[in-house]
Amino acid sequence: MIGFRFWRSIGTIAYKEFIHVWRDRRILLSIIVLPPFFTLIFGHAFEEQQTLQDVPALLYDADRTTESTKLIEQLKSSKSFVWREWKEPKTGTPNLLKNHASAAVIIPSGWGQSLHNGDPKPVRVVLDGTDTNTAPAIEGVLQGLLGEFQMKMRDEMIDNLPDQVFEMGRTLPPGVRNEFGSAMTPWIVERLVLYNPGLKFIDFIVPGIVGLILQLLTVTLIASTITREREVGTLSQLLVTPLRQSEVVIGKVIPYLLISLVLIASTIFLSYLHFGVHFQRIHLLGLVCLLFLLCSLGLGLLISAFSKTQTQAIQFSVFVLLPVFILSGAFAPLDQLPEPVQWFSQFFPLTHFCHAFRQVNMYNAPFRYIVPDLLVLAGGAFLTCAVAAYLLRTGDD
Amino acid sequence: MSESVIELHGIVKRYRNTLAVDQVTMSVQSGEIFGFLGANGAGKTTTIRMLCGLTRPTAGRGTVCGLDVWRERHRIRQRFGYVPQRFSLYTDLTVIENLRFFGGAYQVPRAELDQRIETALGNFELASRRNARAGSLSGGFKQLLSIACALVHDPNLLFLDEPTAGLDPVHRQSIWDLLYELSQRGRTIFVTTHYMDEAERCTDVGFIQEGRLMAKDAPSRLKQRLEGKLLELHVEPVMDALPAFRKRSDILTVELRSGRLRVLSDDPEGLIAGLHKSWPYPELKWLGHENVPPDMEDVFMAYSLGHLNEMTESPRLTVTAS
Repeated sequence: MIGFRFWRSIGTIAYKEFIHVWRDRRILLSIIVLPPFFTLIFGHAFEEQQTLQDVPALLYDADRTTESTKLIEQLKSSKSFVWREWKEPKTGTPNLLKNHASAAVIIPSGWGQSLHNGDPKPVRVVLDGTDTNTAPAIEGVLQGLLGEFQMKMRDEMIDNLPDQVFEMGRTLPPGVRNEFGSAMTPWIVERLVLYNPGLKFIDFIVPGIVGLILQLLTVTLIASTITREREVGTLSQLLVTPLRQSEVVIGKVIPYLLISLVLIASTIFLSYLHFGVHFQRIHLLGLVCLLFLLCSLGLGLLISAFSKTQTQAIQFSVFVLLPVFILSGAFAPLDQLPEPVQWFSQFFPLTHFCHAFRQVNMYNAPFRYIVPDLLVLAGGAFLTCAVAAYLLRTGDD
Repeated sequence: MSESVIELHGIVKRYRNTLAVDQVTMSVQSGEIFGFLGANGAGKTTTIRMLCGLTRPTAGRGTVCGLDVWRERHRIRQRFGYVPQRFSLYTDLTVIENLRFFGGAYQVPRAELDQRIETALGNFELASRRNARAGSLSGGFKQLLSIACALVHDPNLLFLDEPTAGLDPVHRQSIWDLLYELSQRGRTIFVTTHYMDEAERCTDVGFIQEGRLMAKDAPSRLKQRLEGKLLELHVEPVMDALPAFRKRSDILTVELRSGRLRVLSDDPEGLIAGLHKSWPYPELKWLGHENVPPDMEDVFMAYSLGHLNEMTESPRLTVTAS
């Protein structure tokens, strides 16, 4: 029977908790300022991550022929690199560290001639391999530029072919002729991009950013609430009142839930305004957010009920939140991780939040696609709160 | 006769290797002011926490208002108030917010709550501080507020764990006035204290030492047990006399009070006679002696040092030297 008594108890606790947050001006200020601030910073950090831009690179032309000059023109036309002349070519391998460069391109002497000899020399590329993501990306862009250059050269060559070649070609059987023609045409893909036609990375990353900020905030905010009462001694005072443990837990969650709902809504709205992220089916997104926040708060409350001191509570929060950054799929697709790691990641509310959010917002998936995530979040919220309530009883000795 | 509000039967609390409370059996009658005395760590707070249902008794049985202190703790909570040793209210809430919070927690009917809070503010000298943060109050007012919060639901029984520790005499007095008033209205008070003058004001007193209840009786009866055994010796210089008398084996305790040696002895007449016969301290001057009535301080010292035996039912007590 849920009666007046229950609501009054919850209201009493919730009001008190709200005053705690309201009166702690520093925390209040950081709650208001940090989420939008981090959303902007993180958003801009990830917005342009997919294309290489302005990579500092060295260039040395040992060939100095028309061909090498044309190649250099081709390279310089790309926005991916900022080219500088390599000043001390005699040392053999360029010093990338000293020159603050991530790559170097060396056109060997005799390269232009080699193109005409039927035995093209390779262009030398030196890469900084510390960042294993960037190095292949740079190589790919260079390869692409070189490919474009080759196509141009080929077109020029075809234009300048002597008439005999065409006459000879006509004598070839049609099959061979067609195959030759097809080989000389660039093969292309016709692409149709689904779910994120603009290929805007920010659309993919926003739930990760918002979820990460809110996860951090909810867990750390609520993690100190029970332990603070335990440390200060008010917990005993609370436990000698007729309030039930469940009422205490629900009463404590409610104000933080309201606060974090406002925060998640405002950060999402900010990413719509500032980054132009597109959102759809707001009611479903709202449900995903609600369950995610409940589950995160439950997790924080569990840490709180489990810890003896506030210091411990904050430390436990960090231990719990650290793997979330990497393993929740917030910033990188989960399915590229090894399978056991994927299982492990299922324990984090953020994993299910990101998955469900993207299913709804990007894939426009039917409701049943997100039911498992919603069930996990709801179950997690219930379980953590129930255990926290139980620990509230026994955590006294 | 009044019924007993608290009953303990061989109650035990063990924390890992330490026995905090060891087989305590006693009862507290309705309307009593029961003073629970003992050194720090003797088991006073643990006993109160068991009575309040905050910690589970390891063995034995306890009831408050006829309800089991652990199994039925949820049902007892409405009936008592608890003022813990440490100030345990919300420091960032104001006086009135704290009172409202506990009023809500104790389910005081809304219609009554405001009136009760106003009365409490008046009774506890807090009216002018109603909007002050609890953390900004001085020690005395903090304690008054703690008691006011514990009484907001008008319980029949009030537990106070060292309510006057560290307070100035004025606040101590006002707190005791409050306790008397509550007792007059038929409320039962269970209070722990270190102050022996406060112990005198209780209707009944229990001594606990190393978890064991050494005595429980009215202060007057406890003092009776020491009657005729207490002397005040006037010796000069008194600071030299103290160590000399401490070495004597025919003296149970000796302490300094108001410039005299306060001596507890099994056989004071024999002691005086012996001293008359031959005064063994050539460097000390004996100026006189008198028999003095014991006070609670003496009782406490005697129990603490083990010079009084375990509880016995007879008012006269065998006294043994340790």
